[in-house]
Amino acid sequence: MRIIGPDYLVFGVDDLEGSKTYLEDFGLKPVQLDDTGWLYEALDGTGVIIRPKSDPSLPAPLETKNMLRQQVYGVEDASVLDEIEAEMSKDRRVTRLSDGSLEFKDDLGFELRFQVTIRRELSMPAEKINAPGAPAQRAPNELGVTDDMAALPRSLSHVVLFVPDMEKVVSFFCDRLGFVVTDVLTGAGPFLRPQANDDHHTHFFIRTPAYMQGCEHLAFHMGGPTELMVAGDRFVRKGYQSFWGPGRHKFGSNWFWYFNSPLGVHFEYDADMDKHDDTWVAREAPNGPEASQIFLLQWREKWAPSGGPEGGSGA
Amino acid sequence: MSAGQLRLCHRDDIPEGAARGFLPLPDAPRNVIVVNRGGQLHAYMDSCPHYRGGTPMAWRKDAYLDAEGAHIACHAHGALFDIETGACVSGPCLGRKLTRVPLSEAPDGSISVPAQVAGRAARES
Ligand code: FES
Ligand SMILES: [Fe+2]
Repeated sequence: MRIIGPDYLVFGVDDLEGSKTYLEDFGLKPVQLDDTGWLYEALDGTGVIIRPKSDPSLPAPLETKNMLRQQVYGVEDASVLDEIEAEMSKDRRVTRLSDGSLEFKDDLGFELRFQVTIRRELSMPAEKINAPGAPAQRAPNELGVTDDMAALPRSLSHVVLFVPDMEKVVSFFCDRLGFVVTDVLTGAGPFLRPQANDDHHTHFFIRTPAYMQGCEHLAFHMGGPTELMVAGDRFVRKGYQSFWGPGRHKFGSNWFWYFNSPLGVHFEYDADMDKHDDTWVAREAPNGPEASQIFLLQWREKWAPSGGPEGGSGA
Repeated sequence: MSAGQLRLCHRDDIPEGAARGFLPLPDAPRNVIVVNRGGQLHAYMDSCPHYRGGTPMAWRKDAYLDAEGAHIACHAHGALFDIETGACVSGPCLGRKLTRVPLSEAPDGSISVPAQVAGRAARES
């Protein structure tokens, strides 16, 4: 099934004004959908939809306190929706909406929606680097960094869910929707990618008690590690709370930087994720600090060696 | 201020119903959260007991309470803590507590904490 990945994640929030400020400061562009709903979009149109948690137009909440209300997935074309409808109608109620999209619940009670993707095709360069032994990627006089450089989320990358029953959720996504497992962190869970996306993962599942079911984090792809660091540094300077990072994961090789949010989930900037095809054989490693990252750094105030008794290099 | 104490703020810096985070020293690993509940100040390490080692809980500077201001909230995964006792009342760390920090108040209203708090990254135990 030619599923591409998450187009939108929908939340019913406690603190609407705080969430709006947060999402805009994170680098997403606000688009008012109606009286009570806002989409905050990345450059390709994917993003996060928020509404007040009491909004009747939201799908039913989870039984936990988690604010995630729906995951909206993009597929390549209408024929994929027909395929999904045929498969899902075997054992559950599927609602066909007037725009052709489908709504149903997965085997754990998460609300899902599938639509022909709204992603706009992006055409912009990745971060360019120069290194001895390889052709220069930046032209002479083309600078690597500037104070006002853009560092905006390009695309919704992945969603991570706390799930009480791993077997159920993995067989639902793999056997019914055609996802493949790319790697496994034993003790936590597997990384998955759908058939029409070569990213290392659009999903990661973490085994957890039932009272925790919900979204753990979501991530947006940046243009490269420098953009990720610049965006994260600017976000910290606006007063937001770093949770983990910056660093670089091992599985997926993506750079990461996680922040707390008023939506009760982590928001992650990620960059430079591995790509895979069907010849890839999933690896397995025990979950923990060693398997989670190749290195981990921490933000600090800008500093420079200067002004010491030796004279240093200070101005 | 007595020896071995670090000044955080003046009691008037935390309005009724509000919470603020203070670094006890500029390079301390964790904030101390001070909450004013009915004129009574309560203080805890900014360190959620959900994950090993403890992690910071606000989503923005000083944003330690839930939307209603009824509980201290960890904005990582939504754990709620009783303001008076620090006990987790909802979320992933049910049965565990925030690490309480003893506050001293000087006659001029200065609020201070024991100096060892500045070296405390994680929750104890
Ligand atoms: S880290 Fe605080 S609730 Fe998970
Ligand atoms: Fe992630």
